[in-house]
Formats: sequence, structure tokens, C-alpha cells
Amino acid sequence: MAYEDWNEIEDEDKDELQDISWFEGKRDVILFCVDCSESMQESRDDPVYEGVKTSNLLEALNAAIHIQKRKAIVSPADSVGILLFNTTKGHDESESGLETKPNTFLLQPIETINAPKIKEIIHIVEDARSDLEYLRTQFPSLKGQAPLGDVFTSCNWVIRDCASKTAIKRVFLITDQDNPHPGEGGTQLRTSARTTLVDLSQAGVTIEPFFIASEGQPFDVLRFYSSVLPADTFTEDENNTSLLLQSISITRIEELLEQMRVKEVPKRSLFSIPFHLAEGFTIGVKGYGLITEQKKGSYQLFYDAGDHLEPVSVRTTYIDEERQAVAAKSEVLYGTVLGDFAIKGNKEDEGVEPDELGTRMVEYGECPFYTADEVRAFRTLGLEIGIQLLGFKDYSELLFEDNIKHSTFIYPDEDAYSGSRCTFSALLKSMVKRRKIGLVLTLFWQNSTPSFCAMVPQEEDLEENEPGGFHLIPLPFADDIRSAPIEEAARASNQLAEAAESWITKLSLKKESGYPVDSNPNPALAYHNLQLEAAAFREEFNPGTFEDLTLPNYRAMHKRAGILLQTWRDLVDSDKPPSMIAVTIGSKRKMEIGVDETEIRSMYESGKLSKLVVEQLKAFLRHKGENVSGKKSDLVERVAKWLDDHP
Amino acid sequence: VFVVDLSPSMAKTRTVKVPSEDGTLTVEMASLEWGLQYVKVKIQEMTRQTDHPHPISSQIYNGRKTDQCGVVTQNILNERGDGYEHVYEYIPIAQPNSNTIAKLNALRATDMCGDPIDALIVAIETQHIYLSSKKTWTRKIVILTDGESPIELDEWENTAQAVNDRNIALTIIGVDFDEDSDQFRYAQQDKSDIKRENERFYNMFASKLTNGIVGTCEFALQDISRPDIKTTRSALMGTTLRIGDVHNKPTESMEIQVKLSKCTAIARPKSWKRVVLRKKDKDKDGEEGSGETEDDTEGQMDVDEGDTYVELKKSSEYYRDSDKSGEDDDEEDQARIKEEKTDYDDARDNRRVEKEDLIKGFKYGSTYTPCPDGQFDRLETKKGIDICGFFKSRNFRRELAMGEVQYIWADPGSPRQQVALSSIVQGMTQAKVVAIGRMVSRDGTDPKMGVLTPCGFEKVDCLLWVQVCVWQSDRRKVPFADDVRKYTFPSLETVYNKAGEEVIKHPYLPTEAQQDAMDKFVEVMDLTLAGEKDENGDRQPWYDNRMSYNPAVHRIKQAMFHSAVITDLTKNPLPAPHPELTKYMRPPVKVVRRTAEAMNNCRNAMGVQKGTIVKATRRRKDDHVLAKDADDEMLLLDSAPVPGHRPNQSYTQSPHASSPEKKRRLAQKSGSDTEDEDDHPLLGEVTAQDPESANVSALPTPNRSASPDLEIDEREEGRIIGFSHPLDDWRKNIAEGDVVSKAVEDMGYVIREIINRPFAERRHGEMIECMREMRETCLREDEIDEWNGFMMDLREECLETDGGGNNAFWKEVCADGRTLSLISKTEAANAGGKSRISESVASEVGYKRPYVRLLLIRKFVTVRYNQVIHLKLKCIDARYRIASPPSRTRRVCM
Repeated sequence: MAYEDWNEIEDEDKDELQDISWFEGKRDVILFCVDCSESMQESRDDPVYEGVKTSNLLEALNAAIHIQKRKAIVSPADSVGILLFNTTKGHDESESGLETKPNTFLLQPIETINAPKIKEIIHIVEDARSDLEYLRTQFPSLKGQAPLGDVFTSCNWVIRDCASKTAIKRVFLITDQDNPHPGEGGTQLRTSARTTLVDLSQAGVTIEPFFIASEGQPFDVLRFYSSVLPADTFTEDENNTSLLLQSISITRIEELLEQMRVKEVPKRSLFSIPFHLAEGFTIGVKGYGLITEQKKGSYQLFYDAGDHLEPVSVRTTYIDEERQAVAAKSEVLYGTVLGDFAIKGNKEDEGVEPDELGTRMVEYGECPFYTADEVRAFRTLGLEIGIQLLGFKDYSELLFEDNIKHSTFIYPDEDAYSGSRCTFSALLKSMVKRRKIGLVLTLFWQNSTPSFCAMVPQEEDLEENEPGGFHLIPLPFADDIRSAPIEEAARASNQLAEAAESWITKLSLKKESGYPVDSNPNPALAYHNLQLEAAAFREEFNPGTFEDLTLPNYRAMHKRAGILLQTWRDLVDSDKPPSMIAVTIGSKRKMEIGVDETEIRSMYESGKLSKLVVEQLKAFLRHKGENVSGKKSDLVERVAKWLDDHP
Repeated sequence: VFVVDLSPSMAKTRTVKVPSEDGTLTVEMASLEWGLQYVKVKIQEMTRQTDHPHPISSQIYNGRKTDQCGVVTQNILNERGDGYEHVYEYIPIAQPNSNTIAKLNALRATDMCGDPIDALIVAIETQHIYLSSKKTWTRKIVILTDGESPIELDEWENTAQAVNDRNIALTIIGVDFDEDSDQFRYAQQDKSDIKRENERFYNMFASKLTNGIVGTCEFALQDISRPDIKTTRSALMGTTLRIGDVHNKPTESMEIQVKLSKCTAIARPKSWKRVVLRKKDKDKDGEEGSGETEDDTEGQMDVDEGDTYVELKKSSEYYRDSDKSGEDDDEEDQARIKEEKTDYDDARDNRRVEKEDLIKGFKYGSTYTPCPDGQFDRLETKKGIDICGFFKSRNFRRELAMGEVQYIWADPGSPRQQVALSSIVQGMTQAKVVAIGRMVSRDGTDPKMGVLTPCGFEKVDCLLWVQVCVWQSDRRKVPFADDVRKYTFPSLETVYNKAGEEVIKHPYLPTEAQQDAMDKFVEVMDLTLAGEKDENGDRQPWYDNRMSYNPAVHRIKQAMFHSAVITDLTKNPLPAPHPELTKYMRPPVKVVRRTAEAMNNCRNAMGVQKGTIVKATRRRKDDHVLAKDADDEMLLLDSAPVPGHRPNQSYTQSPHASSPEKKRRLAQKSGSDTEDEDDHPLLGEVTAQDPESANVSALPTPNRSASPDLEIDEREEGRIIGFSHPLDDWRKNIAEGDVVSKAVEDMGYVIREIINRPFAERRHGEMIECMREMRETCLREDEIDEWNGFMMDLREECLETDGGGNNAFWKEVCADGRTLSLISKTEAANAGGKSRISESVASEVGYKRPYVRLLLIRKFVTVRYNQVIHLKLKCIDARYRIASPPSRTRRVCM
């Protein structure tokens, strides 16, 4: 069985599915709202490439491209638009039919992300890269500052006209002006900014500010924005208008993309459920999927309608095959059907094929089947949705091997129960202090399976942007645990173990060394995405340019520990194991066939591989973990290849 | 082989307790039927899918081809005619199938008695003949009897000898046998002498056997639902562990042949079969029904009157998503199904396409990219595990592990490989590191990044692998960044005010006292020594995942077995889950008892409240602020009891007295000069249990401003029904469907609020209308208790005698008659619900009588009032600790 198939079990368990559908359920609309003022256009050195000039505006547009590219693949139904402000470029209303206030320019109206649109901005950015003045001429800066209120109003109009009502709507505000309206008349402009912003949030739009600070010029939120932006921009907590989270300004333009990535997917909780600490002692928590394996999107089906492709949706129905009747959902019952009919024994008597029979017959009015609700109750054992604390254990009791799937992060939900945050914080602190983990019983969703989880505290670390909270790690049940199939094998001598330890130590990460600082994208995923992108842009994909960053860094490895590795290897080769310990696995295996490598190698070298019988070839290949299918000639070829590859 | 007793006594009916939704239900069935359940479930476990070309279905629990069974019954007829009278081989030994069960269903007690020893001898013989060429098979015989028939005792010693000689495991399942063991106790009253004698015999008989056991049927039936673990031996998958660059630096690198096997693997419940009741179809009925295989089972089933269930097959249809974005919803679907196929919606039919005409592709935004193979070129990868580096194991963040765990073993056939792997494992253990690895499971498949950790067993070393997403060692993010979502969360430890200053004291931040209470709670609620004692008498931790069974897997299995052996679920519902399944679902009793005090303290210190009303209450007292020391407030808060925990008694005596808002409104109605008298007793009551409350009078009281513009927001925070257009809100929410309970609760709240306001008369008609709709929905949606509770509250409030109340409204309600009465038992039952109100009480709409029997519901309601007060205190407290926030209340003039 192919290894991959192990994990591809048809999943009646809705756990995982729910995860995804939730994230795909609602569309996300982002309007980039970029400042084009003089300081944003100012030329500066590129932080990465020497001798290259860039500007904040250019970086902002670049970040917008990246976000669009990511979204195009990850959530293709999302929409994006770009609005520039503080520019004198006039807007041709007749063309798009969209109205904006003066000194704002709608570079791209809000549309579902698509390849031509992304290419359009790529061209702008490419032109700007070769000549920075390009942006200045295209989007000349306004002397002074457009009223922020006008900017927000424009955002409002653009979103109102283009975005779907049900979508999550956000404005990414990118600016480096911490005090746009100083001096006289400032108060009034400030008020109008605040009012227009209220209108915006009443239209269901949230604003995500990205404030760029530059060297020697910090971005002081308190000067203007803290009084204008709604409080929940900072705290996400409507109940406390008086609170302000840490400031959100970006110190360097390089961080812009990273910060945007954080906000790339709107933060959505997976569930909000009660957490019962004890009888009558309940707080509210929200769960977040911080860790999920990102997979390649699966393909979709399209119908070729001649000039264009049309997406196709699949509808699954359950039918009574014999009568070709579709069963209504409400009539479907669940149960077991009784094994196989005894066809062999009864065929001649009955002469009836099983297909023509009903599945089960009972006396009139009787029903041996369950309804959908009952079936659901079996899965949950009648438990209510929630988390039940069972007690505390030492952190050391959580073993490495007690893992079956990814964890879920929980954070207090003050809205559901007041006092949740305080209780949660206190619990977190107590557990961290005592090095304890919690044992909890969880039922996250209506249709999920109850499971026991280890509740691992994570201490808050603001510097590293680590939120405080608990990770819920699902523990395996007895049913999920497999015992070790091998109980005995030869062991290394102390000398050999020491030799291994020495190169292991050399190859261990020291503080501040070794590994690339950037996070590595999943190479297979990146490879897939690049090809998809190329196909969408109708460009050629050149696989040669692709670099897999997850491959071991051999050069560094051999430089640091090459000699130690060699010493160890020699020791392994010379080591005479105390006795041959060959453990046979399984009882039904065929007789062991000699797979002596030296013998086979010598036969290969003398060109006599084909003298071996198929079983021997297979045994050798199996031993080497190679494929054993095919004709004898294939096997011989494969053995030869292996021997070539492993001199 | 099962030996089943069919003596006349087995037909005796018995009442069997079965659980139902509310308590237990008793069901009558014959002893035989009851006992046969055991046989049938046992057979279920053996049944498995065969390789038949028409596998209708399968029961593959524990399914091994080698399980076979036969059933020998006593007492039917003597067909052998050689002295074994009334013993009949009912089902020959064979692999069991649905027929076996059907045949068992047809068994009925007879009016003859056979001898169990005779039957046993026949069973042994039959089994012996059948297994003559299969020496290694395990032999089991199960006798099911009630022991009411005489036994011929002559031959028993020889028989016992025969059982032992053939190494047969004999189980005697006795109906109503006495049992007195640790796990189960049972003693039958008025036991007949013959049965007593027989029981003694069976016990003695079993004791002479090397492998014999007697058990009572009830325990056996419970025991078969005990979860058992199917042991799966994992296959070993060969691969290579690579250290260093094996191609370019062969002497400085190493390839170790290893085998992977699963260490954890998620077990999932078996899937259900979907079936549907096949409606009678006149044309086909006659010929087809008679062909049923089950029909030959003693003619028990009358085809013409029977119901046939058919299994459903999955089928997929493909439709073009045309420009029309309006997708058919479920309702349309349902409607369509009812129609004949020819009447299908034309447009829809046009959009239908055949699978063969489809091409695969991907979406890139709204751009479609065809990709006929379903995937692009794959990254070229080489099978094996590459070691990328090591890092300190203490830096491994456990929550980043993403999947199932695998063992990595050295090739069992090669000592050299074993030694090499062992040296790495030991070296890693010494260095206290784990490895970063990159695994490719087959050539060309996508690489996975994971962590390898050393693991030493008694006689073998191995590595454990688990896939991880991103981990941070040295605070740096390594591998697949795509897997981690970085959300921002507000800090839990620091709170800033709007001026950017850190706030030291805030309800979000635990005080020292709160933290202490929590520390104590965490300390005592420890499970480390809360489990059973081991052989040495040392206490073990409570909860061991090797003993925790997946409730879904085993409960579903139990349910499936059950549904397979019975014919009707109403008559014979599923028994309760086995205690083994639920044993870890609650904290151990011992710990709970030990924790009680610390828990109470902690709970009280935290004062958590279900928080839907917070905002509303805070608004009300926004502009009515009395100077008050925050610490005093804290004290009050600390000692303020938590609802549900406090003795309810005092509240049931005078429930309405504890609703401040209502009081206030009453005061407004009756003139503001009475309000002080009204309020003081109220406050006194709230704090009566608090010895510290000397300064009661300084308590901030609710807003008593007599101004007519009550600052009531259109809709209070957390409410889905507003004050302005309650009926519209209600209809909208009910139409949406999933918030019925909440809507009912909020509607009740809104109605009671409104009728207690000044000038409520203007809205009486509207409120009556609201109530009519509310009642209708309550009846339909089984919110009956809610309705009845609401009505009792409403009555209390309306009829208040101390000058408040809205008598007029109540009269209008009464005048409406049964359309607004309490919902009675009878009415509820007609609507498929339940009610505790008798018909006579309900019919008397005004119901002047006291409702002694309804106190329970009332308690619930009064506790809610109590919460309001508590919340008020809390909010005031919160306010005082924050520098005066701006009032953002929007007011609506009534």
C-alpha cells in the first residue's frame, strides 16, 4: 500500500472538514488604501539589494502584489482593490463609473482576484523598479494632505459599489504620516475623519492600519490616530473603549509584507464554546486553528464551453439503485445491513441475485434503523459542546508519541462570560508557575468526536509576538496506539555511540547560527503554486530556477562534521556486532531468501544478475526499500541501478 | 458452537430495563429473545465480508475469516434418533452471515425439554467432526440456558473429560443465574428448586473444566458492550535514513536501511449504511417479495405486510455553474425529488453535464487554469529521510507536532544497520537533541518536514518521527511557514488605556487574591496521584491513554451491533454505554471532593458571569455615579455569591424583590417618593450574607432618575430582540430558524420590560400579539418550559400588590383565553413535546392558584434576576477602576 494512502481515509469525521469550510465560507474583501505623499515617494536604498533604490510607495504596491498572489491560490474567491490617496492624479469617472473624492485615485476597483489584474500592477512595479520617477509621474504627490475624512468616504463608496454584502470587508491603510492634520483647522478635520470612519464601520468595514515609521522618525499613534480609529482596531474588544493594545506601527518598510501576511487571512475563530473548570465554574473561550497543514488545493472540474471554461459543481445524492429513486435527506436512516446473504448455499434454491433484494425486511411498523440525530448522539455520547477540565498533570507526563493530529489554540472570550479573561490569565499563570498541563475533555463541534486533550500553557511573550493562551493537543485513545513491532535488535557499543554523539553535537543548532532566518515555504507547494501562477499568466515555467530550501545544507554539514562522520562510519563498518540478531517479522512471510549484498554485487559486476531468481531480486529490492513490481528485466535493471547509486 | 435451550420456560416473558431519554423504560421480551441477543452479538463479531462478487455489506468488526460458528439447539426434535432426544443441529457450522441471524430470530421456545448434557455432547461431536482436519483452531462452546429443565447427571464426568481433552473453552450463560463477583451482583428471588440445583451443577461442572466459566446473562450482555481494542499489527515500510551527502561525499556520509511503522494511527468509527424504507410498489410487490432469502426462515415474515429497507448507493451528478448565481437550495431539492424525473427543471437539466466531458483545472483567483492531469509536474524528490540538523530537545514545542507518530527501526535483517541506528539514537540521547528531518515517502512525492526523537526500549533503539509545521528553535521559524497562521491577540498580561499608559488594576488582570485562589485550585486538582494503586501499592496518575477508549468508535460499534440483532428500536432501544467508555469523562470523585473548597474560593474570587447583559446594565447607570472606593467594591464583589451556588430559598420566597430595574420602574409609576423604601430592603437583601457590608447605604443604586426618557437602547447588547420592533425582530429570527431558544428568551425579557414601563398601555396590543406568536413557536419548537416559565413570571410581575404591577395587562392576557394560557401536558403531547402543567391548571387561564409544583422553574428565573444585580456591582467596580470612560450610550426616547 502506498504510504500516502494511509492518510487519505474517507472522512466522516467532520473535524477537519469544518476547519476548512469555515475559512472558505466567507469571502474576504481587501481595499489597499495607500498614501502617495512626498515622503512615501521618497527614494531610499533597498534594504535587501545593494545599489537598488526603492520607495515606501513601491514597497507598499509590492506588498499588495504579494498578498494578491497568495490569495489567488489560497482563497481564489476573495476580492482586492487599490486606492491611492494624496495624489493629484485625476480619476476618470466616466470610465469606471465609480466616484471618489478629489485627491484620491482608484488604481484598481474591487474585483475578484485574477491574473490580468495582478499583471497590471506587476507592470507598474517593474517600470518603477527601473525608474523610480515613474511612480512620481504616474501618481504625482499632492502638496499637503487630503482630508482623511475624504479618504475614508472614498473607501466607503468604493466598497459599497463593488463588494458583496456578506463578505468580510477590510481596508488596509498604509501611510507614514502620523499627524496628517496639524495646526489650524486640524480639529475639524479630525472630527470629520472620525465621523466618516464611524460610517465606514457601520457599513461593516474594519480598518487595518499599517503605519510606517522611518529612521529617526517614529510613528506616534497618539498624535492623531488613536483618537480617530475606533478602539477595537487596537483591542478587538468593544466592551472596553478605554483600552489600547500595544502600538501597531511598523518600524521598517521591510516589515510591511510580514505584517500584512499576518493579517492576510482575517482572524476567524473556529468556535466559541464554554470551558467548564468545575461544577458551576465556567468561562468562555474561543478556539483558533493556528496550526494546520497547508495542502495543495485539489483540482476542480470544469466544463469546456468552447471559448471558455465553466466551473462545475458536484452534487451527491443517495439513490435506491434498483428503482432509480433519489432518497430525500429526511427519509434516510442509518444502520447496519446484515452481512452477506448466504448466496453460495442458497443460490440454487432461490435463484435470486442479491441485488434484487431489499436490504432488510422486518414486520410492518418495525424499524431497526437510527435517525440522523440518534447517530450523531452516538458519536458524541450525548456530551454538550464545550471543554471540561478534568485535572492537572506534570508537563513531563505529556510524551512525544502521544500525538495524532494538530493542536488548537484557545483564548478567552470575554463576551460570552465576563471575567473569562481574568480567570484565564490566572489559570495560565498558575500552570506556567507549576509546570503543569491540564487534562481536558473536548467537544468542539456538534458532529465531532469527543477527545481528550492535553492543555499546554503558552506564556505571553510580547517581544516575540507570542500570545498567551493554551494549546489543546489531542491525545490518542487506546484505539489509536500501536505497539512496537520490533522488540530486539543489535545495539551500538559506547565507543560507537560517542562517535555518533560527536558529529551530532557538531550539527546541532547553536544560538544565532546555522539555519536560514526566513521561514521556508513548503517546496512542493511552492513548486505547484509557481506553475499555477505561470499557467495563469500564460508564461513559461522554468523548473531550473526553483530552489528547494528544505534540502539539507550539505556543504555546511560536511565542512563542520565531515571528518567526524567519516570516523563514525569507519567505526560502524569495523564494528563486529556481538551476535547476529535477525528478528523475523510477521508469521506469514515466505521463507527468508538470502539477500547478501556483497554476493549480489559481485554477480552484478560479473554481469550475472539475470542468473538470480525473481524472488531473490525482489527480496534484495524489498530489503533496500525499493519497488518490487514489474517483470524480471525491470527488477534486474532496478537492482543494477541501486548498486550503481550505492557504490 | 452455541447451544441454546428452548425449554418452555425460556418463553417466559420478562421485563428488561432499557434506557430512554428520560430515565428508563421497561420492555417485555421472552427470556429466549433476551439471551439470544448475546449469541447474536457474538456472531456479529465474527461475521465478515467475504469475497463474494456481490458484497451487499459487511460487518468487519474483528473479522477474521477463521471465525466460524454453528448453533445447536436443544429441544426441538430428535432427528438423530440415537438417544439424544430433543437436540437438533439448527445451524450447521459455517461462516456466519445474515441468514444466521435471521434464523436465530426465528427461534421460538418449544414445549419439549431436552437434556443440556445431551446437547453439549452433540455440540462437541459436531465440532469435532467439523474441525477434524483443523487442529489448531480455537474451540469454543457457549451454552445458553435458564436452568429450569432437568439434567441427566449420569454422563457429566465423561463429558467434562471430553471437553478438556479437546481443549474446548466452555461458557455457560445462565438466564437469571445468581452471581456474586466484584463486577456484578445478582440474586434471583423465588428461585425454583430445580434451578437452584442446576445452577449448583453448572458451577461444579465448570470448575472441573480447564477452561470453563459460568456467568449470568445480564452481566454477559453488559460485558459484550465492553470496549475491546482491535490490535493491528502495523506493516513495516522500508526506506532509507540518510546522513550527509551520499552522492558526493560517500565516505563522509551514511545510508541506513530502516523500516517505518505506525506508533499512533487514528481509529475511526465504522461508517453507517444509509437505508430508506422502500415504499410499497404495487406492480412489483408480489413476485419480488416471495424471493426474499429471509423468507425461508420458518415463514415468520409475512411479505405483504413487512417493511423493506433498502440500502442507498451514492451517486454524483455534475452541473455547470452557469451565470445564474442563485443556487437551488435544499427546499427546492426536496420539492424536485417528489416530482417525476421527466418534470425536472429544464434549466437545471440543461446545466447537467457528463463526467466524461469534464476537464480538470485549478482556480487562480477568478482565472481558470486547465490542467488535464489534475496536477502539475511534481517536484523531483528521492525517497528517504534526510537529516537536516539537530537542536536541543527542550526547544521542541510540543504543540507544533501535526500528525500521527511513526517508529523508525533499523532493518531487522541487518545487524550493521541496527548498530548504526542505535549509535545515532544513543548519541542523540546523550546530546539531548532531536533531529530535523525531511521525509519523502516515495520517489516524487511531496517532502514532509518533521522531528525525529531518540527512543530506547529495553532491547532495541529506535527513532520516533512526527511531522511538524513550523517550530521555533532559538526563536526562529524554520520549515513550512505555510502551515502556521499568525494571528494577533491582545495581551493578556498588560492593558493600556487610550492614552497609551499601562493600566495596573483592571478587571482583566487577576488580583493577587484571585491569583492565589487559582494557584490553590491548580495545586489541589492534581491528577498525578489520583489513580488506582499499582501492584506495589503506589498510586498511579489518573487517566492513562492506554485505557481510554474512543467513545465514538465503541458506542457506534455497540449501536451497530444492536441494530443488527434486533428488529425494532422502539421496542428494544440501545442499552447505555459501557461504564468503561465514560469513566474518564468526569474528574475523579475523590479529586472533586478534595478540590471543593479551593474550587469554591476560586470561583467566588473570579466571579465569572455569563455575560450577555453586561452592557445593558452598564448603560443604565452610566450617568449615575456615586463616589465609591474601589476596594470596598472589590470586597463586595468577592463575597457576592455566584448564582446557582447560593441557597435558593431566600429568593423563592420573594423572588421579584431582587429585580432592581423592575423596582425602579415600579417606583416611577407609583411616584418617586416611595423609591427609597423600595430600594433599601432590596440592597439589604443582596448583601445580607456579607458580614463586611456595613456601608450598605453607600452602594451605588440603579438609576432612579424619574425622567421619562428611559435610556433604553433599541436593542440591548446580546439580545436579538429589540424594544422598538420586537415582533419584526422576532419574525426575522424565527425565520432564520437556528436561534429559537435565544429568541424566546429575549422576547420574554423584552415583553416583561415593556409592560413594566410607564405608558405601557399604548403597547399592550402589540405585546399580546408578540405573545401569541411566541406561544405558537414555543409549542412548535418544544420551548414549552420556557413559555410556561415566562408566563409565571409575567403573572407575578403583573399582579404585584405593592403598588406596582400591570394588572390591566394581565387582564388582557387572561381575556385572550387559551391562546395565551400555559401549555398543558395534553397540548404539549399533541405537539410532540412535554410539559409539567396539568390540563386543569392550564385551562384556567388566569390561574389564580399557587403553583407549588412549579417552583423548580421559578427558581431558575429568579436566579437570573439575581445575576443582574451581581453584574451591576461588577460593572460599577469595573468603571471605578478605569479613568472615567466617555459615555457612548445612545438613547431612544420612548
